Amino acid sequence: MTSTLKGITLKGSAELVAEFFSFGINSILYQRGIYPPETFTRITHYDMSLQLTTDPKLKNYLTNVVCQLKEWLFECTVQKFVLVITCLETNEVLERWQFDIECDKSAKETSAPREKSIKTIQDEIRSVIRQITATVTFLPLLETPCAFDLLVYTDKDLMVPDKWEESGPQIIDQSEEVRLRSFTTSIHKVNSMVAYKRTDSA
Amino acid sequence: MAEGGDVEWELSKENIQPLRRGRAISALHHALSQQQDGLSSAINQQRQAFESELRMYDGDDPLDVWDRYIKWTEQTFPQGGKESNLATILEQVVTRFTEGNKYYDDPRYVELWIKFAENCPEPLDIYRYMQAQGIGVTQTSLYIAWSEEYENQGNCRKADLVYQEGFKKCAEPHDKLLQFHKALQARVSRQVMMNVEEDDSDDEPKEPQRVSLADLKSRGKKKAIAPINRVGSAIRSIPGGIQSHGASVLGNASNSKLVVFDENKTRAGPSEPKLESWAAPPTSKAKENEQKPGIWCDVKMPQKSKFGHTVMAPPPPKPTFQPFVEESDQPPTMTPCKINPAVNSVLSARKPCREETPLKRLQEHHQQQKEAESGKLHEQSMYCKELLLSGATEFCFEELRAERYFKKVTQEVKGEKDPANATPN
Repeated sequence: MTSTLKGITLKGSAELVAEFFSFGINSILYQRGIYPPETFTRITHYDMSLQLTTDPKLKNYLTNVVCQLKEWLFECTVQKFVLVITCLETNEVLERWQFDIECDKSAKETSAPREKSIKTIQDEIRSVIRQITATVTFLPLLETPCAFDLLVYTDKDLMVPDKWEESGPQIIDQSEEVRLRSFTTSIHKVNSMVAYKRTDSA
Repeated sequence: MAEGGDVEWELSKENIQPLRRGRAISALHHALSQQQDGLSSAINQQRQAFESELRMYDGDDPLDVWDRYIKWTEQTFPQGGKESNLATILEQVVTRFTEGNKYYDDPRYVELWIKFAENCPEPLDIYRYMQAQGIGVTQTSLYIAWSEEYENQGNCRKADLVYQEGFKKCAEPHDKLLQFHKALQARVSRQVMMNVEEDDSDDEPKEPQRVSLADLKSRGKKKAIAPINRVGSAIRSIPGGIQSHGASVLGNASNSKLVVFDENKTRAGPSEPKLESWAAPPTSKAKENEQKPGIWCDVKMPQKSKFGHTVMAPPPPKPTFQPFVEESDQPPTMTPCKINPAVNSVLSARKPCREETPLKRLQEHHQQQKEAESGKLHEQSMYCKELLLSGATEFCFEELRAERYFKKVTQEVKGEKDPANATPN
């Protein structure tokens, strides 16, 4: 079904990006050991195997977030999406995964599909997720039990929905930052980056 | 976006050893970009600086230099390996400060021991040795590393016991010990729960099963059957080799043809294996080949004739003629070689033999120290052997002298400058 589709619309783009976040969050939670590995199940998507949580509460939470995100993506009002990993006991921020989203707002006016095949986009997404997996080579081991939090940066004039609240940026001081790959659907462009607490060597 | 340069770490991600504390990405980029054109002079210079600092340091915290040196090495050689000299340095530092227990409870020293242990083939031995010597017994990190090693080997009970030992010794920081112990308990209980669930779900009897590979099929005319005896999941804990307990093997029909003779079995009946020095070589009653060694050159295999008698083949007659040898022809007495034959002592770097584990060397060192204390040592080097050989590389006298000279010069320059600065003020 995808092979015949040549172009991409705003709606489709929002869906693709939201789907990326869903898999991306799951990957990070699995890779960084925020939830025990037994609570994940392996599925195949983007021609690669990915881990999806089976924890019902977490699943529900993620679905809610991603649904809301999809709406904002469709309205082109999101600027950033951030996953913050904090130490459960001290509430110190240990890792910060930031995804900057650039929306092409002109897509809202014209409904004509853009020229970019879903396959190319998915290839780009795949390499981003691969890179997320590969970050274990330099990220410090998370030794303490951790919690995670999701932050969304939106345009200023947006109404805050019931289930959301305003929050601080939760930035790590003295952090090491690594830019990851980016991908674009030609309507939404997502730049990824991870920041982590600097090692006390050197 | 400067993505082009940033993917380098991803391309060589398999060659980067993960560190507990993570890596500084700038150091990683630096190390990876330099990898392509060999060891750069910058790295060599830095290493040399560390090496000479090790020797020239005269403050009261010599461990600090070592600590920085090792951290630098870890960051600079992401792939580890021989080039990094990490194993050598770790062994050096660990051995060096066993004299006098100044650092025994220093978290840095214990951390170095743990790194050393992780580099060794048998980390558990090292941890036991540490405990016996009283190194780091009040440090939480020792118990965490020790317990994690047990857990990795699948021995959760021992892993728990290690924490109990830590509690007994009141290891610091206490919170961390408590937290890691809790985490272990949580993991174990979750595992048990999972196992119970799995046991409920499948009612199949537990019979020998192959883990992953299927039975090898014979091809063509050959009817060879490869003996395979992988059984259950417990097989993982046994390090590769022959299984000594035959019970599980018996169930495997394909293997029953082949009975391996085990000479240890017949002997190890009543007596328990004890660690004692052998008064006499063990009796050879279980030996199979009883024949005495003798001269073999004229012995012939008796051959059976058609009629069943054994006949000896007649010895080949000696040639009655002299083979012709050309006068000018001299057979080459030696294969041509580039090395001057007068030089017969070719040196190569000594490789530690396989039985010589780092732990063994450590114990030897310890032994030597004891002997030295009791005045039994017969050797005494009359030069600063310690200074020349410490660190990962060897220094020569001139290098040391130069270091001292430069130090003196810089001090003199400073001494001259200071009064000059003082006058205008």
